[in-house]
Amino acid sequence: MVGISDCKVTRDADAVLVTYALGSCIAVAMHDPLTKVSGMLHYMLPESAIDSRKAEENPFMFADTGIPRLIDELRAAGADGKRMVVRLTGGAQVLDSQGVFQIGKRNYLAARKILWKAGILVAAEAVGGEVSRTTRLEVGLGRLWVREGGAIERELVRSNGAKGRNGNE
Amino acid sequence: MAYSVLIVDDSPVMRSFIRRVLNMSGFEVGECTEAGNGIEALAQLSAHRVDVILTDINMPGMNGEELLRRLSADGTLKTTPAVVISTDATNERIVRMIELGAKGYMAKPFTPETLRDELERVLGDRDAARA
Amino acid sequence: MPPELDQQSSLEPASTPHQPGRLDEEPTASDTIRQVASEVLEAMFFTEAELAACEHAWLDPARCAGIRFGGSHFGEMLLGVSAEAADPIAASFLGLDPMELTDAQRGQVIQELTNILCGAILSKLWPESKLALSSPELSPWQEWPDAGALHHCFVIPEGKLGISIRLTAG
Repeated sequence: MVGISDCKVTRDADAVLVTYALGSCIAVAMHDPLTKVSGMLHYMLPESAIDSRKAEENPFMFADTGIPRLIDELRAAGADGKRMVVRLTGGAQVLDSQGVFQIGKRNYLAARKILWKAGILVAAEAVGGEVSRTTRLEVGLGRLWVREGGAIERELVRSNGAKGRNGNE
Repeated sequence: MAYSVLIVDDSPVMRSFIRRVLNMSGFEVGECTEAGNGIEALAQLSAHRVDVILTDINMPGMNGEELLRRLSADGTLKTTPAVVISTDATNERIVRMIELGAKGYMAKPFTPETLRDELERVLGDRDAARA
Repeated sequence: MPPELDQQSSLEPASTPHQPGRLDEEPTASDTIRQVASEVLEAMFFTEAELAACEHAWLDPARCAGIRFGGSHFGEMLLGVSAEAADPIAASFLGLDPMELTDAQRGQVIQELTNILCGAILSKLWPESKLALSSPELSPWQEWPDAGALHHCFVIPEGKLGISIRLTAG
């Protein structure tokens, strides 16, 4: 289970990475279809500059410290950046514990900016709106499931239906 | 099978942005060449084979519309798919570029992912047509 | 004098002289500028723009570019990017660290942002029009106090932006 401001990396094909209560937070799920190396990061805020002491204690609280860490840990475990399938979930506009409204969109833009800089494109996303989300990644098959609000869980696939060049949806 | 791409845009940084998307996209990019306007593009095309042309419209010298006109009149080059990448999203222009043979039209602004999706569609269509 | 534009563009000279229209009288123009600024900055610069009150001291040292347009409507647009925002947004666009930017890239990103904003604003405002754009050029900021020009200031996490746009006689 991936908690808030938390990150897990695994290559166990039987594992499922799951995170809950994604309001304005973002879950970054990454999966290498060849080696099965997978990871999930659940972060709360876009930029660590606002509290660099906290970022040192827990880099997974912020997009700009958490995402590069996630990528490094995945690479160390054998994942290839060019093969990785990346999906984003969360970033809703909710009035969360901070009492902040706009942070969902900021979190989402932060993920896209950092991934663009890291040379990684997003394969699919379930973001925005005003619902809380839960997301889980089946490591073996590389399938990502999202539950939005009270709705039934659905699989998150590429929205235009095109097959990725590596054969994955 | 690596795709060779020609990027035609008078902005060097826009060419960098597009090149970056190509390299990140997952499909094999072979040779990726650049041109700053239609004249340079035609010179590149006479020098080597290209699988897809990505072209802006507003460029000094020869613009993208005139480039497409020349390509559609050329027996060999008219089979090379061209995708327009332009800040002009007026209806008349879009229709004219499609009539001149453009296989796709990306209106700026677009996300890197949207450009990747469009390239996959165009290259997929091209591969299907050749199969 | 009509702006010099690409000779290849399909412009026809105006058959009858006319007064330039007033953008501030175009009901959807302000909303269009605001919406397009948000779309452009989010899609390609990964940042969020919000309308801000205008206070223009920052525009003096700002990085600015201008662009002219023609076709169905003739006019010009100016973009100003505050000094502290110019490097971060160029770096975001190119996927680089601000320290890796060359001077040429810094200017070219401002020019391209001007190009994208102008074309997208005009295409959205007048989708049935003919449109031709000049090459954007770096230039100092100018105030356009004349009636008819539209101006908006924005704040982004990196700093500030200003956009001015007006119609001129064709």
